[in-house]
Amino acid sequence: MNPDALRERRMRLDDAGQALRARPKGESLDALCRTLDAWSDPESRWRKRLAQQLPPATGFSPETVQEGLRIALAQWNGAALRELVKQERCTETAGLGTTALFLAGSIPMPSLVQMLAPLVVGAPVLAKSAARDPVTPGLVAASIAEADPLLGECVAAVQFPGEDTACVGELLACPCIVATGSDETVAAIRDRVPAGAHLVEHGHRLSLAALGTDVTRGNALDDVAARLALDIALWDQLGCLSPIAVYVVGEHAAAAVAEALAEKLGALEARMPRGSVDPAAANAFAQARAEAEMRAASGMVRLYADPADAWAVVLEPAAALRPAPLHRFVRVFPVVDAADVARAASPYAPHLAGIAAEGFESESAALNTALRALGAPRICPPGTLQAPPLDWNRDGHGVLRSLTGSPTDTGAV
Amino acid sequence: MSSDPRRAELDAKVLEWIEEPLWGTDDERFDTLALALFAFQFEHCLPYRRFCENRGRTPEDVQTWVEIPPVPTGAFKEMPLHSFPADRLAHVFRTSGTSLERRGELHLDTLALYEASLLVPFQRFLLPDLHTDREPLIYALAPSPAEVRDSSLSHMFAVAIREIGAEGSRFFLSDGGLELDALLEAMDRVPTDRPVLLGGTAFAFVHLVDALAQRNARLELPVSVRIMETGGFKGRSRSMPRPELYERLEDALGVSVDRIVNQYGMTELGSQFYDSILREPGAVRRKLAPPWTRVRIVEPASHRDVSAEATGTLVITDLANTGSISAIQTADLGRSILEGFEVLGREPGAEERGCSIAADELLDTGKT
Repeated sequence: MNPDALRERRMRLDDAGQALRARPKGESLDALCRTLDAWSDPESRWRKRLAQQLPPATGFSPETVQEGLRIALAQWNGAALRELVKQERCTETAGLGTTALFLAGSIPMPSLVQMLAPLVVGAPVLAKSAARDPVTPGLVAASIAEADPLLGECVAAVQFPGEDTACVGELLACPCIVATGSDETVAAIRDRVPAGAHLVEHGHRLSLAALGTDVTRGNALDDVAARLALDIALWDQLGCLSPIAVYVVGEHAAAAVAEALAEKLGALEARMPRGSVDPAAANAFAQARAEAEMRAASGMVRLYADPADAWAVVLEPAAALRPAPLHRFVRVFPVVDAADVARAASPYAPHLAGIAAEGFESESAALNTALRALGAPRICPPGTLQAPPLDWNRDGHGVLRSLTGSPTDTGAV
Repeated sequence: MSSDPRRAELDAKVLEWIEEPLWGTDDERFDTLALALFAFQFEHCLPYRRFCENRGRTPEDVQTWVEIPPVPTGAFKEMPLHSFPADRLAHVFRTSGTSLERRGELHLDTLALYEASLLVPFQRFLLPDLHTDREPLIYALAPSPAEVRDSSLSHMFAVAIREIGAEGSRFFLSDGGLELDALLEAMDRVPTDRPVLLGGTAFAFVHLVDALAQRNARLELPVSVRIMETGGFKGRSRSMPRPELYERLEDALGVSVDRIVNQYGMTELGSQFYDSILREPGAVRRKLAPPWTRVRIVEPASHRDVSAEATGTLVITDLANTGSISAIQTADLGRSILEGFEVLGREPGAEERGCSIAADELLDTGKT
């Protein structure tokens, strides 16, 4: 894609947007609900195409993609979209105009919801595919076009290198810009957004897990470890909802959780193997594992690891900030009590996406309050972390509202 | 020298190799020394012995230097890794990092071998035109060891200045700032009849070219001048891709790109690796390993050698590391080029190697 073609595409989107806003109320939402219903159906051709095309494009194993889509899209349907519109009280003409999306990462669900959201508020979408996922945006655009030709004219998925400043400039000419990615990427886009344009930022986030004494014994341990292992293994731990650290009340309980997690991650590797890993990520994993091996040999930590580096669990002696190489590498830290969980999680406060927590019984209300105070927008039981509802307000400014310039937005720049 | 006779003998043999006038690859000699050193370090460094035993590797099982288990650089942040009694500790070099980060430490009981292993490659790769009657002038864009005693980069420049530097060689970074006026004055009367080395961190050079641009100053340094830069930009206020830095250095100082050398080194190693560009002008730019070192490029999980020119983890065996651990698994990726290699950087999120940051923290907080 070159800048001229991109400009022409943007202008066509602007024109189609006029027709979109003029159409009878409810037509667009109906079509978008049908689109989402199709994505929610495991037998739909869009789901099947995505499940087929995503593994070779992203490196995820086919089993991981199937399981990830099954879990995440189970509740994402037309009814959920109508509920979201109701909750956020957005109209079909509330959008600010053609919305440029800078998509990121290799997980398809954020791309799906980000591409649908502007259309719900009557704004055309110009989506730049993430380098790591060239597949999803095109399929989402095609699925929208199939459900409604006019909406199809209002959405375009484009690809160009992020360093192509001329192409980036064309996207930045849109009145509304959604930037997703690392904090550095988002900052680089922020620096270039023209005055008066509306910018919505989705920067770097991560997730944690916390287990209380009620789930770290007997059958409960086995069950919670299986669910938590799934949260860790899904999307090879690359999502913002993938836990990188597990805080467990009690030293013995932490040891038991680490051992059980290792067993479950080993079992998952057989059923849902980790995907391919690029040399840089493999190098980071191997360095962290070897470092843990050194510490384990001296009795400082306990290490459970797959011989081929497909997963690793490190039982740490105390809560601390340590490297998280992802790709199914998790650290387990003992904590004293629920209050200690919040203390241990506090260094991550600006970046928290979710916390999978269970087993705190009488302390759970206080823990939830403390974790919410840290800014964790999602607190849920283990095993459900990777299945946020459609209306999950990841960055606190609304899925739809953020695209309308309402007072709760990040604001114009 | 070490008080342990076995260690002293190993030190002497490595030192002898380092100081030989002609460099030649001698695999048998390397293997013999590496295995002897492994046996010694296995015996005297308890954390390393436990690590090796966990991997099922002991001096009895290891048949060749390739099988010696490498220690990840991160382990130097976790525990003291030395092969001498703790009460013989004479010097500690620390990796760069912020006060909140753990810093890796290289513990040494003697500086003799360490200094020899840094000085010889320094001369051969940076000063191949050196003559005995024309000592090089060395200008270091780094703080002196008096200011940062635990910086291996500052120590390297200090040793070079002490051993081979001409009168007038000095440090130009002090009290948190680049002494720009003094440096410009020195550059103004830079000699043409002897080698001149301008060395420092990449970040210091960025400061220099920025400062020159602010003054609209442009120098045209003679061909006697060469530049050595090292380190990365992690966490720094300013970063610049290496090709852009070299272009700006050429433009601002008049030093052509083929006289700018990157050094790859790390606190955990005694020896450093330099671009071949001054030693082999016109040949492909690559890092060349001194004969007492070996660089393997391996698949990260299996540690098997990658195929030719494929990207992999750099694993370095440095016989000059007699007092600590000789086999190191770096956090850097690299690739083979001819008989040498190139460093491709490190994984996202990992901490930068090298000494750039310690010196740069001073620059960030101080005057420029």
